[in-house]
Amino acid sequence: MSDYKKSKLDGIKDWLTTTNHKKIGIMYLWFALFNAVVGGSLAGLIRTQLFNPEGKLLTPEMYNQVMSMHGTLMIFFVIIPAMVGFGNYIVPIQIGARDMAFPKLNALTFWIQIPAALLMFSSFLVPGGTTQAGWTGYAPLTSKAFSGTPGVDMWIFGLHLVGMGSILGAINFLVTIINMRAPGMKFFKMPLLSWTWFVNAVLMLVATPVLAGAITMLLSDRHLGTSFFQPAGGGDPILYQHLFWFYSHPAVYIMVLPGMGLVSMVLPAFAHKKIFGYKGLVLATCGIGFIGFLVWGHHMFASGIDPVLRSIFAFMTMVIAVPTGIKIFSWIATIWGGTLRFTTAMKFGLAFISLFVIGGMSGLTLAVIPFDVQVHDTYYVVAHLHYVLFGGSMMTLLAGLFFYFPKMSGRVLDEKLGKISFWHIFIGMNLTFLPMHWLGIMGMTRRVSSYPQRPEFAFLNRFEMLGYLLMLGGGILILYNIFKTLRKPKTATADPWDVNGIQNTLEWTISSPPPPENFETIPVVR
Amino acid sequence: MKKKILIFATLFIALFSLYQILYAEQPLTNWLQNPATPLAKDVRTNFWISMLAILPFLLLSEGLLFYAIVKFKAKPNAKPATFHENVRLEIAWTILPALALIIIAFPTFTTLKKMEVPPKSDLVVEVIGHQFFWEYKYPKYEINFAEKPLVVPVNKVVTLNCTSVDVIHSWFVPAFGVKQDANPGRITHAWFKALQTGTYKGQCAELCGALHALMYITVKVVTDEEFETWLEKNKPVPVTPTEATAPVKSKT
Repeated sequence: MSDYKKSKLDGIKDWLTTTNHKKIGIMYLWFALFNAVVGGSLAGLIRTQLFNPEGKLLTPEMYNQVMSMHGTLMIFFVIIPAMVGFGNYIVPIQIGARDMAFPKLNALTFWIQIPAALLMFSSFLVPGGTTQAGWTGYAPLTSKAFSGTPGVDMWIFGLHLVGMGSILGAINFLVTIINMRAPGMKFFKMPLLSWTWFVNAVLMLVATPVLAGAITMLLSDRHLGTSFFQPAGGGDPILYQHLFWFYSHPAVYIMVLPGMGLVSMVLPAFAHKKIFGYKGLVLATCGIGFIGFLVWGHHMFASGIDPVLRSIFAFMTMVIAVPTGIKIFSWIATIWGGTLRFTTAMKFGLAFISLFVIGGMSGLTLAVIPFDVQVHDTYYVVAHLHYVLFGGSMMTLLAGLFFYFPKMSGRVLDEKLGKISFWHIFIGMNLTFLPMHWLGIMGMTRRVSSYPQRPEFAFLNRFEMLGYLLMLGGGILILYNIFKTLRKPKTATADPWDVNGIQNTLEWTISSPPPPENFETIPVVR
Repeated sequence: MKKKILIFATLFIALFSLYQILYAEQPLTNWLQNPATPLAKDVRTNFWISMLAILPFLLLSEGLLFYAIVKFKAKPNAKPATFHENVRLEIAWTILPALALIIIAFPTFTTLKKMEVPPKSDLVVEVIGHQFFWEYKYPKYEINFAEKPLVVPVNKVVTLNCTSVDVIHSWFVPAFGVKQDANPGRITHAWFKALQTGTYKGQCAELCGALHALMYITVKVVTDEEFETWLEKNKPVPVTPTEATAPVKSKT
């Protein structure tokens, strides 16, 4: 072994053929980071387009493509893979396993994302461009008659691949968490990140096939002459909405539950206090996961579905606020009375709570059907979903990045730069998305490429540009921080944040970065 | 840090009020500021009641969070507390929000009933969405036109039967408190009773293709007499088959 000189090529080969959960996790994170750059640039195009009421930068067709792809990329190619990246890396270590249950399947799950992303990117280049129907792809706008472009088919196939990855990954996570916990690691001893991943895997496994089914029906309507969603052939476009949201509402929780897990690791570490109400948090996670399947109809309050059905969905939507409230209060109680250290990870974690509260409350207002109908498909909803997905998921991901970067790379990210980037992102985020609530109430509909008839919307749209630029600056700083830190020597200790003694999770007992097999002997948990 | 937040908050409020002053001469017509129908007024009441129930929780959680951040900053020699359970507290923060939800739920369901059960209709209009314009039919008067403002009498209950010939559209006039998807192959219903004459703007709210942003809605609310003359002017001319080649955009 010692005679063999490792060349650079071997390193690349190693990454391409690895089945190690840690390397796959890191690849997921790089993949998500790259897509975040693309998706963020598309967001820049959107904001520039809406800077003036006339919106002259892009043609309406081009704008719809950009807007659709921004949504699709950010959801399926940034937030979900980034969450999977952290889960893939940390969960096996946390439960005391040497790897995932199916390492080769794990590699497949990652590599299947690459052609999916390539399909998405290249769909811009085909004649007619990519889908113009938004990330929701409502029928019949996505039918052959109204979207003839092959870009829609590529979008469907891309989602198929991602969905396949999700299902396979979910099976892998479930089998790993159920079977490979170290001796003594009972379910109610599992750290919260692993718990959220357990619930999350169930959500992915149950919900994703429904999305796959819905878009397959779309595909068959497009090319095989069926009419699942074609009124002319006796189909019903509302059916697509039911199927789509049956997946996509749980998908919101798929995007935020693992993030809540990350924050539940970060907060106790820097408050020097155990997590408050562990059992309550676990039960709230399960509750959110379960009720999350019963609220999809609140996306369809304006589509004319039965009022009784609407009332039930509204009621369930209100109910889901209860477990979410338990979580928020438990986190606040966790930092209550602690000695808080405001590292960048902690700052992002605390920002998550404050922003998610706003997103959650505006979500609660959306359960009020008469109000929801008024702001449905307006910028109010855009504001709400960005508070949940940017203020929620993205903040937790950044908290997780700063928290686990030393464990993954052996190097601590620059804290000073990190804090500057935090303030940029936190302030920019609010400047961009807070005014959107007001725009929506005034009646600015979403997914419009211009608003020449309503010049009074211009002021806030211009104001939001300021927020975007701040976020852009923060994002660039984080990228710079990552590349700068990766050039430094590996100096991080096994426990760079001094968390041992507060939360005794296994990832802080092994070296940073961990050895390939994590543990020499499988630890026994007491 | 606190200073920074304060500066940004003041800046934001200042710019916001400046904006309000600048645009004050343009009456903002939406259900919140200038509700033009009884339904829109109900929506506004419903909104404020829900806010009354939601805002205390928003302020409470943000306030506690902010207080904790300021109060429990690590100081040398300070020892962190060790509590991590309190069953009573946990039960309290499960039940209290649940009770608040009841305050939100009741007005929601009563307003929903008002939305769904229109009073006796005075005028029925069929609203048909096209890529990218609206077609209106007055079945009683056999009037049918497209790409022109909808004309309705003031203080009359107008019921809308919405459908579409191609993709899903949504008929949305913010001042009326009305938004209803127009789905192909289905008929959905909405209603409004405009309390004041005037011109109201709206637009298609469901992404329907490239020119979705330009699919406007204009509603002219006129007095009864004006409506009568308008009906007279737009009375259908008997059409012989040979004249039917005029490019009228209708679905027939």
